[in-house]
Amino acid sequence: MLGAAQRSFKNLILDEDLPLPPVWDAKAAAGMAIYRNAYRLRIVGALGETFCRTQRWVGAEPFGQAATHYTILQPPSSWSLDHIGAGFPALLEDLFRNDPEVAELARLEWQMNQLYVAKDAQPLDQSAFAAAVEDYSEADWANLTLELMPGLAIEPVRTDCAAIWRALTDNTEMPQDVILKEASALIVWRENFRCVFRSASSAEAHALSLAGDAASFAAICDAMVIILGEERAASETGTMLGRWVQDGMIAGIAEPSSDLLHARDADWT
Amino acid sequence: MFRQSPRFDGFGLGLRRPHYDEYLGKSVAVDFVEIISENFMVEGGKPLATLDAVRKRHPVAMHGVSMSVGRHDRLDEDYLDRLGILARRVDPLFVSDHLCWTGVDGVNSHDLLPLPYTEESLNVVCRNIDQAQEALGRTMLFENPSSYVQFPESCLTEWEFLAEMSRRTGCFLLLDVNNVYVSAQNHDFDALAFLAGLPAERVRQIHLAGHTPGEVLIDTHDRPVCSPVWELYAHAITLCGPVATMIERDDAIPPLDDLLAELAIAREIAARIEPGAA
Repeated sequence: MLGAAQRSFKNLILDEDLPLPPVWDAKAAAGMAIYRNAYRLRIVGALGETFCRTQRWVGAEPFGQAATHYTILQPPSSWSLDHIGAGFPALLEDLFRNDPEVAELARLEWQMNQLYVAKDAQPLDQSAFAAAVEDYSEADWANLTLELMPGLAIEPVRTDCAAIWRALTDNTEMPQDVILKEASALIVWRENFRCVFRSASSAEAHALSLAGDAASFAAICDAMVIILGEERAASETGTMLGRWVQDGMIAGIAEPSSDLLHARDADWT
Repeated sequence: MFRQSPRFDGFGLGLRRPHYDEYLGKSVAVDFVEIISENFMVEGGKPLATLDAVRKRHPVAMHGVSMSVGRHDRLDEDYLDRLGILARRVDPLFVSDHLCWTGVDGVNSHDLLPLPYTEESLNVVCRNIDQAQEALGRTMLFENPSSYVQFPESCLTEWEFLAEMSRRTGCFLLLDVNNVYVSAQNHDFDALAFLAGLPAERVRQIHLAGHTPGEVLIDTHDRPVCSPVWELYAHAITLCGPVATMIERDDAIPPLDDLLAELAIAREIAARIEPGAA
């Protein structure tokens, strides 16, 4: 009984076109109108907070229409309002097909919001990294795996949504030409409690993505050889790694496995 | 045996993001702060760091909005796990939520939806409160919600339902005086009868807030407490004695000093009330 009643009540809130039960009087109808209105305002409002820059970029009315559409297509299921926007950038990609920066800006906002509450960790600084790898053999380097900072995300982009973000944040002039000449990526991570991002080449984004999947440094180097060619890969992969450490993107490195250590000991004896 | 919700008769405010820096930077004249639990059920980052710092200075009450204790099926165990993790971190005065449901069939309305006050609902709610209290290892407080619809099948008044719910489960009550006023106006019942019908000794916390007037009053928490609600608060204190009291503001949040001035009104009222004089 209660389950059926709750299902009916929920359906009345979600679908404003559903007729109210005939036994309901005008007062009950006025009450239901409050629940229906509050539901839409709350969900659309939460999306507007999460995607505040996207809202300003597209305008309040188109954003409101998209958010309302999203609310109908994907009613919230999580217990947190902060989770409800996960599928919104994908819908924006569909709704704003001729303006690819809209979905990319929304994805950037979503990642920045996720990062805000990501797990805390201390990045490995340059001196700690140098000390950790000081005695590495060639085999150790080949087997090196990296632990990225919690919440670090890599977003492929073909528009300059980063410039739009900055212009909206600093209230400066909006960029006119937002399509990038070459597809690239944004790396999003957190410095202490500050969420930051920077641009990266597609090659670097791929390398970092492999690192995030616990690929060995040798596997990353192999992938870079395919993308960059042997000569560039040899110099640039090391440079990338140095910059990741410098930027505070690396939380730790895996110690060389004991098998490798034993093998090295054997070589020395 | 659950850890019991203690008696505490201080005055507090909700910890809201516009006031974070003030809570971190100076001593704010409150006896406790209340957090929205879900805002801090996260992995890390600034919100939790802020909460940790505030907790060093003030007792904290955890107030949830998504437990959905009135849902017809079992509570979300992942939600309870996360709530438990936060409770262990905070060591709060109280853990509270609402007598309501928020969704069904995987949809969460993010609203505090009303229940029919029937024996079936009572059984469901008590079963779910048992689940929550067992998961947390402590008694909880449940708040009377504002409502805009009532159900003809209800066979208990809201206050009878709350009293029986508390008796069966051992949970305590969070009395939202503004919600009593709003629902009394919307459903034509006597707010004083509501207060008189509650087991006063089970009330551990009181909420005060503003609402939007109209044909149907709406619990908006976006303005100061109105005079009739202050009068009702005075009556509630007469019945319940000194109880932890806080002002809830969730929208159109004013400067912290404005809320502290409003909280001073609650302190003055409570100071001049003689318990049991009703």
